[in-house]
Amino acid sequence: MRIRLTVNGQPRTLDVEPRTSLLEALRDGLGLTGAKLGCDRGECGTCTVLSRGRPIYSCLALACESQDLPLETIEGLGADGLHPVQRAFIAADALQCGFCTPGQILSATALLRRSPRAGDAEISRAMSGNLCRCGTYPKIRKAIRLAATTR
Amino acid sequence: MIDSKRFVTTTVEIEGREEMTVVEVPAFEPPPWGKDAALDTVGHAVPRLDAVDKVTGRARYTHDIRVPGMLHARLVRAGVPAGRVIRLDLSRARALQGVRAVLTGADLPRIPWLGGEPLFGPAVHYWGQPLAAVVADTEAIARDAVRRARVRCRAAPHRVDLPAGKASLRTGHSGVTPPEIRREERGDVTAALGGAEVTVTATYRVPAVVHQALETHGSVVHWDGDRVTVYDSTQGIFRVRRELAEHLGVGQHQIRVITEYMGGGFGAKNSCGAYTVIAALLSKATGRPVRCIWDRHEECVDAGHRPETEFRVTLAARRDGTLEAIDVDASIAMGVVGWPGGPGKIFQELYRCPNVRVVQRFWYGNVSGMESFRAPFHAEGAFALEGALDLLAHKLAMDPLELRRKNHSPQDPTKQRPYSSELLAECWTSVTQRIGWGAARKRKKTAGRFVQGVGMASQVWGAAGGPPAYAVVRLNRDGTALVQTGTQDLGTGARTIFAQIAAEALGLPMKDVRIVIGDTDGGPYTNNSWGSMTTPSVGPAVRMAAEDAKRQLFEVAAEILHAKAEQLEARRGRISVRGGPSITIRKVTEQLGDIMIMGRGHRGPNPSGVTVHSFGAQAALVEVDRLTGRVRVIRIVAAHDCGRVVNPLLAESQLHGGIILGLGYALFERLLNDAHLGRPLNLGLHEYKIPTYADIPEIDARIVSVADPVANHIGSKGLAEPPIIPTAPAIANAVFDAIGVQIRELPLTPARVLAALNEAASSLPG
Repeated sequence: MRIRLTVNGQPRTLDVEPRTSLLEALRDGLGLTGAKLGCDRGECGTCTVLSRGRPIYSCLALACESQDLPLETIEGLGADGLHPVQRAFIAADALQCGFCTPGQILSATALLRRSPRAGDAEISRAMSGNLCRCGTYPKIRKAIRLAATTR
Repeated sequence: MIDSKRFVTTTVEIEGREEMTVVEVPAFEPPPWGKDAALDTVGHAVPRLDAVDKVTGRARYTHDIRVPGMLHARLVRAGVPAGRVIRLDLSRARALQGVRAVLTGADLPRIPWLGGEPLFGPAVHYWGQPLAAVVADTEAIARDAVRRARVRCRAAPHRVDLPAGKASLRTGHSGVTPPEIRREERGDVTAALGGAEVTVTATYRVPAVVHQALETHGSVVHWDGDRVTVYDSTQGIFRVRRELAEHLGVGQHQIRVITEYMGGGFGAKNSCGAYTVIAALLSKATGRPVRCIWDRHEECVDAGHRPETEFRVTLAARRDGTLEAIDVDASIAMGVVGWPGGPGKIFQELYRCPNVRVVQRFWYGNVSGMESFRAPFHAEGAFALEGALDLLAHKLAMDPLELRRKNHSPQDPTKQRPYSSELLAECWTSVTQRIGWGAARKRKKTAGRFVQGVGMASQVWGAAGGPPAYAVVRLNRDGTALVQTGTQDLGTGARTIFAQIAAEALGLPMKDVRIVIGDTDGGPYTNNSWGSMTTPSVGPAVRMAAEDAKRQLFEVAAEILHAKAEQLEARRGRISVRGGPSITIRKVTEQLGDIMIMGRGHRGPNPSGVTVHSFGAQAALVEVDRLTGRVRVIRIVAAHDCGRVVNPLLAESQLHGGIILGLGYALFERLLNDAHLGRPLNLGLHEYKIPTYADIPEIDARIVSVADPVANHIGSKGLAEPPIIPTAPAIANAVFDAIGVQIRELPLTPARVLAALNEAASSLPG
């Protein structure tokens, strides 16, 4: 079926199957491979994208149901120079292998947009859906605090 | 110029195994960067070179590789833990529209796999073992096709856990097999136990745990004419190339393995995987590139694990705490295959003790083979050794810190020779001061719901690295440099630190140095990134290549500056005569035009007569909820000795990574294999819980060392594996301090804590 997605402000048309996930559509249909497939069942958060400004697991969303939703991926965040959250992740070394990093950054960005002065408990709740096996969490914490103060 | 070469034999330690190898002695060795060396780039907090790629999503991982015409492979897997395939019918799978080919054992050349049995052979040794493959236009069609495969197996008896009695036999991959037993002893343990003033004996257990790298194992392979290009998520591009060449019967020169970015390894990605071989064969069969990537469940079933292990430990000591004997009998559930390293080794290495006996029983059974997992065997052994030590301290009514100090070994107790450097006692001081040890240990435990405790543990790890490792440095006519070496960056920051080392040695700013790694066609050989070996192995090779290029550059600069080459030095892009005139490096290379200076470097042999180990200690502050049994880790402090830190940002990240893996090992993680069904029960990342953001305590991790110029000429020892070793025992010892009862099995689940609390309550008088 032919669908229309709005990704990073751009209308994009592509052919998918009804069962195609939003993640597959982004990665295979549009070549936006910043969102990763880590588990394919909403457990790890590497597929995080923003839908209407809120982080979602794109592996659990159907592409055909994502029409008419403004979608934001990591590729859009850095489109006109680095976003303050991206800069903070670099400065704090809040990444190791980097596989979870796009998802972490999108979750952190969504949090700081809706709650620029988020406290520890709120950060913890907002970030717990994004796993990192390398153990960068202390530095992600540091990066979010840094981004909150430099925005 | 032809260098005069000398070949000598040296010892290299890889994850506890010592291997003798022939090495090439370098034509020259640069003088070591000592403790006081004035360095402009090395030792500085340089941001990762690949950080921008990683925060923008531009970093391309194996999962992200899209080659035009690419097909997708999926595997048909066994649904029994042991037995024989009696029917394998892929006709309905093959008939599905979009399926391009199928591959069964009958289509394959004989490729030796599990302990020499053929890949896709009829004998089944574990649940989920690959039996056949399909390849289709999309991943979804390939999945559909796998569901249409008809497989019938005749099941055979199986065993997936450690046997209850040591004497019982178990089903292994070659039928019923007794364990492989290794015994080692120094001194006379039986005699020492007989005359001991105090002894403690206890049994400790650790579970099977899985690596769970977020990028699952997988490859994209394009067999095009006589060239095979492999994109692989691997810790060893050259090892994959060698093994794949053997499996496929082609020359190594025909294969190119590329790992530009990889999403974690932790020890599970050290060899050529079945996915690589299958993708290659299907690519050859179809003439198209083929992608074969494990899904998350396959990652848990067929990508290795840290083995379940049981330790029976006896410690004997004098009343003053001096260790007289260590006696350990360990049983290890290896799975169908594995390499018998030693969980007993840390018992021999960590403390001074004249009599040590280690018996290790390696049991083979019907789960997939174990793989190295960050500090393999030492992480398991440390839980038992450090637990037993605290039990002894408890019996002696002695401070665990004092007991450790009493048994500190200032030299290598296994070889009776000095260390190149050793700061374990400094690590103990550092962590106990920062955790507030004395006051916390003396604090009276309250009778309320929440009770706190502190615990500590230590670590030792073979961290020398060693040859062979090679690097090339090429200078361009504009004064910039290209560094080429065949290593890979698992997320450790290897890419960045080798660029720092090259920039330092060349006297160039970081912006003028580019590094190419992760490509067998793009740089000379280095070993796998395993055993905490990459920095101390490849670092000296990179430095030597840069020094070799600089030496040649100085020959030209000396002419221009009317000076002798020995009088020159290079810093911040300029070559100067000490205390005299100078010229930019760019001016010199521009004079050369397209004459290219190339420096060649390799890793020389390790120093003889000394042991090169990394050391460390950690302390944990925990709070136990006596109502629910939940353990909350409040704070972890760490101090590690790894020689020179090339980049403090990255070193701290490594420490965090090890500690957080150790936290998961301590509190949540275990792969449950159902003894009756013979299959794992908790696949995925929901049923198998790894630490998440909300689980993370305050972590204060520091490096206490400055440089170890005896180890090698960059002064660095290995760091990646050490920090996981003491975390779980430090947490367990803190829980022991909090509740007064020792829990001797990981993970420290609420159920186990409550059982321990009940035991304590029932043993109280009245």
